Amino acid sequence: MSDMDVDQTSLGTAMSNSSKAVEVGQLEAKEDELDHLFDNLDDVEITKAENPWQTKTTSLELFSAKDSGIDHLAGDSLRQFKLFYRHFFPAKPYFQWLNYSNSPIPSKNFMNREFSFFLMDETFMRYQSFKSLDELKQELTRLCPTRIDLGAVYNIRPKDKNMVRSGALTAVSKELVFDIDMTDYDEIRTCCSGGDVCTKCWEFMTVAMKIIDTALREDFGFKHLLWVYSGRRGVHCWVADMRARVMTNDQRKAIVQYLEVVKGGAHQVRKVKLPSTLHPSLSRSRKTLENHFRNLMFSSQDILTTPKQWEKVLAIIPDQAIQDEIRKEWESAPTRAPAEKWENLKTIIDQKTNVKSPLRAIHLDIMFQYTYPRLDDKVSIDIRHLLKSPFCIHPKTGRVCVPIPIETCDNFDPTSAPTVPQLVKELNEYDERHPSNGNSPKLQDWQKTSLRKDVEVFEQFVKGIMHDISDRKRDDASKSLEF
Amino acid sequence: MFTQADKKNSRKQKLVSGARISYNDVPYPTRLNFYMSPPSLEISIEEFEQFALDRMQVLTTLLNAQVRNMTSEQLDKNVDAAIRKYMPMHKNTSGIPQNQLMDERRKDHVSHFILRLAYSRSQELRSWFLRAECALFRYRFEKEILSDQLEFLEQQNLSWKKVSDDDKSLLKEKLLPLIKPHNNTNLDGVTYFEVDFERVTGLVGRRQVYVQGGKAYVPLADQVVLVLDEFKERLAHALEVTGKILPRMEEDDRLMPVLNNINKQYLGREFTTSAIAGEIQAQDVDNLKVHMPLCMEHLHNELRREKHTRHGGRMQYGLFLKGIGLSLEQALIFWQMAFEKLTPDQFNKQYAYNIRHSYGMEGKRTDYTPFSCRHIIQNNAPGPGDHHGCPFRHFSAPNLRATLAAHHVDDFDTEDIMSLVQGRHFQIACTRYYEVTRARMLDIATENLKGGGINGGQGNTGMVASQELIEHPNQFFEQSYLLMQSKESSASIAKSGNGDFMDGQAQSTLQPTVKGQYTYKKSGVQTSSHSNLDMEL
Repeated sequence: MSDMDVDQTSLGTAMSNSSKAVEVGQLEAKEDELDHLFDNLDDVEITKAENPWQTKTTSLELFSAKDSGIDHLAGDSLRQFKLFYRHFFPAKPYFQWLNYSNSPIPSKNFMNREFSFFLMDETFMRYQSFKSLDELKQELTRLCPTRIDLGAVYNIRPKDKNMVRSGALTAVSKELVFDIDMTDYDEIRTCCSGGDVCTKCWEFMTVAMKIIDTALREDFGFKHLLWVYSGRRGVHCWVADMRARVMTNDQRKAIVQYLEVVKGGAHQVRKVKLPSTLHPSLSRSRKTLENHFRNLMFSSQDILTTPKQWEKVLAIIPDQAIQDEIRKEWESAPTRAPAEKWENLKTIIDQKTNVKSPLRAIHLDIMFQYTYPRLDDKVSIDIRHLLKSPFCIHPKTGRVCVPIPIETCDNFDPTSAPTVPQLVKELNEYDERHPSNGNSPKLQDWQKTSLRKDVEVFEQFVKGIMHDISDRKRDDASKSLEF
Repeated sequence: MFTQADKKNSRKQKLVSGARISYNDVPYPTRLNFYMSPPSLEISIEEFEQFALDRMQVLTTLLNAQVRNMTSEQLDKNVDAAIRKYMPMHKNTSGIPQNQLMDERRKDHVSHFILRLAYSRSQELRSWFLRAECALFRYRFEKEILSDQLEFLEQQNLSWKKVSDDDKSLLKEKLLPLIKPHNNTNLDGVTYFEVDFERVTGLVGRRQVYVQGGKAYVPLADQVVLVLDEFKERLAHALEVTGKILPRMEEDDRLMPVLNNINKQYLGREFTTSAIAGEIQAQDVDNLKVHMPLCMEHLHNELRREKHTRHGGRMQYGLFLKGIGLSLEQALIFWQMAFEKLTPDQFNKQYAYNIRHSYGMEGKRTDYTPFSCRHIIQNNAPGPGDHHGCPFRHFSAPNLRATLAAHHVDDFDTEDIMSLVQGRHFQIACTRYYEVTRARMLDIATENLKGGGINGGQGNTGMVASQELIEHPNQFFEQSYLLMQSKESSASIAKSGNGDFMDGQAQSTLQPTVKGQYTYKKSGVQTSSHSNLDMEL
């Protein structure tokens, strides 16, 4: 064990023990001086005055990731955030994305973008904006937000909001976004509830991603979609096409309504009423749902095994006589396979209704109610609504909000999204295996870890956008040449 | 429009020709108008105001009729009456002399532009006006005879890309399911337009059209949507422009007061802190539950049961409570006590800000007003786990039945309410619920007086007849609260007056002294107005 290790351990215990606060203070005072030597932090004093807890962390910057003891820091979540923003946050592609320009010079897209930060002390800072990537990076490491949200791009810098008359701040553009959260599935999932998620119920998210992704691409012609794990129990989608970014709230709402099928609050049992002839988009979704329905419903969620579970399904059928009939049939042999019960249900409905009855296809309604994506519509409709940025760390799970490649979304496992301690470990291992000899090309720290593949998915997405921008530029240029 | 020069001119002109519109040769070939260029003519201040108010009458009648979920015949009847009275517009074929026709259309043209001025100063006004004018345009377009529709469209030179027959047969399988009636199997007679989906948001949102690669395929039958979209887009743009140049008119001391006045006149009643029950304390809320409409009572019960309410519910119920007179200080106490699972610290961090915000004490400091029924019914439908919304709109039928039963609504009235709900007359259903339940409350109050000799049961239904359609939860509360107040005070006085309430003398002495008497009297008269309401709706 090196001396350094000992120091850190004592720091760790001191922090958890307030009676030793003096000791920590002294330690930090020393390290603050060092800070000035190593770092070009402009105003450490001001920083401290604004953030009382900041003093605790400045010392961290001393420990480069190469220090063998870095994983000892895992317990302190503030350090995790700091390490993450320092070493693993893919700042360059992130900036390129939000800048929507091939040039490295910050454009209005970046400078007028609203960032919001949640800080450790639960302060919520809205309407932040940055003039450059460096300024953003500096603020990230200084403030260590536990959560970064992205808002709209405004007509002026959101930071200058108070310098103009109220109402003059208007949103100009923002990605069309979707937020799908597992809590909206609580009434139908049986494996977990609330904040928990497992690979069984994650299939709901897989279905949702497939259906929304296909509709956005095929029906609306969008090309630049980024799916992101929300870090805990959901997924976000960012649609970054130019056309999507400039949509009005009404247009966003139209898309949401077009996609939405499951409607109604806690007091509405039947939440899906499909028309007798399905819209082509829903016919296509139906095929996707059918691929997942059996596995999801009869095996992982098990909705027809016990009376308590199947009563929920029966309640959706608004005809008492049919309900009774199906119940009788199921009760006659309650142990039969769920798939068989499902066939019973369909047969009985077929027998009891005529072709024109609105209940004829209620099994479809049930299937949609149990598997079709449930969107949080407010997030998508309001252009100014905030959504958590990709590559945040979820403060509760510690997992990085990594992109999910849609082609392989079936294989995504939320419990395998990387955490900071894991990344630190990988980084240290990599450096051990590849001692720097000056010849090897300089790699970003994230490139040395499993985060690499995630950032590459992200870079691919950014590259696509950049491609479009060049194409458009070339088009414009050739057009102007024609005159 | 109305530039300084024009106005100076107009002053001069007025001296010469008096308050007459001077005719020039602006042609109005049909009753439809995209209002692309402002009228250039002279008009007196009096006419200026009168025209604006007349148009307002038509617009508000139309919007109110739509809000009240009238059937289309009822809506037509109401709106046509308003149009006939305030702004008649006759058909080309009506046999009315040409110059009178032009006069009518000119009035339509002028009044539109006056209201544009009045309604362009803020985003809120602009969006109201846009909604109203679009509704009016649509109403007129749909009522217009086909030949005039076509003439108008031709004149506007609107061109949408037609889908070729080849493309149509390629898309046949996708287009057919959306055709009505569904048994149709060929597309021969149907013309489709291919437009960007952004232009037909309504059709897209209702999944009425086929969408592919960002293009929507709109059948000829839905052409009105395209026309309306064009109208809306142009008007929205024009309003923005007008809004920007409006400050130049500030120095005009003749028009500005008129304009300012116009947009204040018809915005309907806003329930600010009415404090009908005086300053309410946090602990009073439970007792006031009896006066709450079903939506609020439900939110209250769920709040007590779950010790928590999600955001939509906090907004709807919190602002309602604010409306009945719960001060900010008391609101903080109320919610903190309600969320009993949270520590004060958690509460302050997570919720206190939002509560202060809704009282206009944080952020942009807007003093929010309680939600109206229309807002609750139309916006922000409850999602899974939410309890806000309108029970008549958002509960499933069995649930609503059970809720009504729990409130002792008898079978007969339940069926009545359910059929209103079925017909999507949610506010009328709520009004009916009000009448039924208040009547029962009065009966109980009467019985509690141990035969105090008041009216008995049979008269009460008439007495509680709601003065008007319930359009606001706070209106429900206010009516109910005042009704019971008046009942209690009249009852107690009746008691002290030896129960001789029916005596004309006693009644006349009551009037000046009893505060609630006004309401009582009013509700008495309302029996007839209520039956009117029933007829109209």
